[in-house]
Amino acid sequence: MDQLEDFARAYSQAPWRKQWQIIGVVCLALVLIAMISGIYLNISAQAAAVGRDIQHIQGTAIALDGENEHMQSQLALILSSAEMESRAHNLGFESVPPDQIVYLNVPGYEERKPVILAPSEERTVIGARFMPPEYTESIFEWLAIRVKQWYSAIVEVQP
Amino acid sequence: MNRAIPLKEQENNWRYPFVGVMLIIFPFLIILQVIRIQVDPKLLARVQEKIVISQRMPKTIFPARGQLYDRRGSLLAGNQTVYEVGVDLKSVKNPQIIAQVVSAVLEIDYADALLSCSLTPTESAVYSVIVDNVPKEKIDSLKIIIEEMNKQYASYKGDNPPSLEGLMFSPHLGRIYPERSLASNILGFVNRENKGYFGVEERFDGLLAGTIKTFMVQVDPTGAKALPKVPDGASLVLTIDREIQRSMEDIIDRAVSSNAAESGTMVVLDPRSGEILALATTPRMDLNEFWKYAQVFPNATPFNRATSQFYEPGSVFKVLTMAAALDAGSVTPDTVFVDTGAIEVGGTVINNWNLVAWGPQDMTGCLQHSLNVCLAWINTQTGEENFYRYMSIFGIGHVTGIDLAGEVSGRLKMPGDSDWYAADLGTNAFGQGVSATPLQMAVSISAIANGGVMMAPQIVNSVVSEGYQHPIDQRVISTPIKPETAKTLTAMLARSLEIESSDALVTGYRIAGKTGTAEIPTPFGYTSNATNASFVGWGPVDDPRFLVYVWLEKPSSSIWGSVVAAPVFREAFESLVVLLNLPPDDIRRQLNAGSSNASQ
Repeated sequence: MDQLEDFARAYSQAPWRKQWQIIGVVCLALVLIAMISGIYLNISAQAAAVGRDIQHIQGTAIALDGENEHMQSQLALILSSAEMESRAHNLGFESVPPDQIVYLNVPGYEERKPVILAPSEERTVIGARFMPPEYTESIFEWLAIRVKQWYSAIVEVQP
Repeated sequence: MNRAIPLKEQENNWRYPFVGVMLIIFPFLIILQVIRIQVDPKLLARVQEKIVISQRMPKTIFPARGQLYDRRGSLLAGNQTVYEVGVDLKSVKNPQIIAQVVSAVLEIDYADALLSCSLTPTESAVYSVIVDNVPKEKIDSLKIIIEEMNKQYASYKGDNPPSLEGLMFSPHLGRIYPERSLASNILGFVNRENKGYFGVEERFDGLLAGTIKTFMVQVDPTGAKALPKVPDGASLVLTIDREIQRSMEDIIDRAVSSNAAESGTMVVLDPRSGEILALATTPRMDLNEFWKYAQVFPNATPFNRATSQFYEPGSVFKVLTMAAALDAGSVTPDTVFVDTGAIEVGGTVINNWNLVAWGPQDMTGCLQHSLNVCLAWINTQTGEENFYRYMSIFGIGHVTGIDLAGEVSGRLKMPGDSDWYAADLGTNAFGQGVSATPLQMAVSISAIANGGVMMAPQIVNSVVSEGYQHPIDQRVISTPIKPETAKTLTAMLARSLEIESSDALVTGYRIAGKTGTAEIPTPFGYTSNATNASFVGWGPVDDPRFLVYVWLEKPSSSIWGSVVAAPVFREAFESLVVLLNLPPDDIRRQLNAGSSNASQ
């Protein structure tokens, strides 16, 4: 009996056992903290990188818009009326005297209309009517339509 | 059992209470500061400001100014990348060298550049602008110099290094007019502050400039979000045709030069729609050098004489007088007037331009010989009420409402006005004592060319905004006369030109038109020998495609509109039919007949 008590006391009160328990708990906590911190750091870093990318892309987009405008203007300078005329003269072209102009009847020819640089709003609205519903409906609307169709199908097959 | 504490350990025992006290004091101080911030509103505001600054920063987005196109899509006003050149004051090592290089490359004053570079940096002043709107080519030259200097003086150890450190360039968009002075009087210009002056640039400044927006952007990149899209300024497609405009400008420049006139103005419009195809005036300026405005337009010279300068138009006004009389039924084309060379209206004797009596004349003859006496008599037949009512419907004395900045109305004195006299009814008949701008005259007379319907003059064809093109509707201003009246008067004017063998006639095309020679009033009456010479004409008569109004101010070669203005009209007409692919009348009829047969 004494031997049994000694054995139980020896195991329950062994200092090394308590120390291991404490060390184990602390290590577990540290590992958990490290894992959470690692995940947090990783996600934060990704978010920060994406954020910086967004800012950078936006900056690039603005710069490209500016570059487009600049190049359009440079092209317009090259194609300006005076430049084109001087180039035509240098290439040996001359203005045609009115009495040398020959007019031909070209079926379907229409008077030149003012330039169209963008679609008109009306035209876009007309086109939108033919846009498939999949492009505009939400998942709930889609679900409601499907349920309705399914219900209609059941009702129709009933005598 | 007490353990003995070593002496050295005892000596360091004070550290424990010290750390303890510190641990108590620091949280206490923190709590104290928190309370202080809450209690002191000024401190609270300062802290909040610091928080906002540290978390967010303002970002201003300047939308690109809208572009201007002619009706064929040629760019008339666009944007180009220009640079602001400045210095980071804290980084500047040698202001003299910077000023020297910058002034040499950018062609600016050395002293001004040195002043900008030599400013002492403060907390609020860390950057100084040297010059703005520098083209890209100059910046490229500066960059090459910087690179070369960096290479050459990399190992320089002296006190005053020849360094361009601190020099900075920041790009932004600036206005450019690729056609330079072409249509400058229509376009107007934009100054360095992106503000429009004159013409379309001023009239649609808000629309073209767009809206500058400032957003608060998070400094923390994890909170970075895409900035909302700031739409660029709307672009405008104008009704003018670049080639027509250029041709008309060349013609009017030559006319001013060859007739030694003070100025010249030409309006070309489509009477069917009111669209302005060209609007050429003198002087004009290279819009890319807008700072020369005061040199080009000294002494308040109108930027666009067609809309901003009124004058007494003289005999071209007879077209309106005759239109009113025919429409009111006061006369018919066959009415005969016996011209005795003088008529008294309201106590004033009116004579013909050559002081001669022309005898019996029908109404076509009155127009053909431009008889003041006959037209003054016609007005007495039409009556005050009818005449001024018609003139008002024709828009005389009112602005036309054209979409250009700075339009002025002329003056039509009406019965009841303090300065109106009965004699005005007579003088107004032949365009004296009444003033109008060339555009007003062109628009009023376009009603006759367009079957009695007067269209609103239009310079903007459509607006391109946020990806859509919005056409501007054409508007009818009024219907001053009946279609039959317009047809009759057009035939009379065409006939009068043909009988007269006018210099305005163009082979192959039937044209209607009228000359005008007006005396110029001075503060002492019509004492000047100078005149205003005008011509208005349109064609082809059976299907008018354009109306041309010519005004030469104080020509020296001859005072008569028939001598100086009619040939200018002819030259313009000859150019227009080529540019608009308009065949001679007989060929056009054959082609039309051919098209009809083909479609049957």
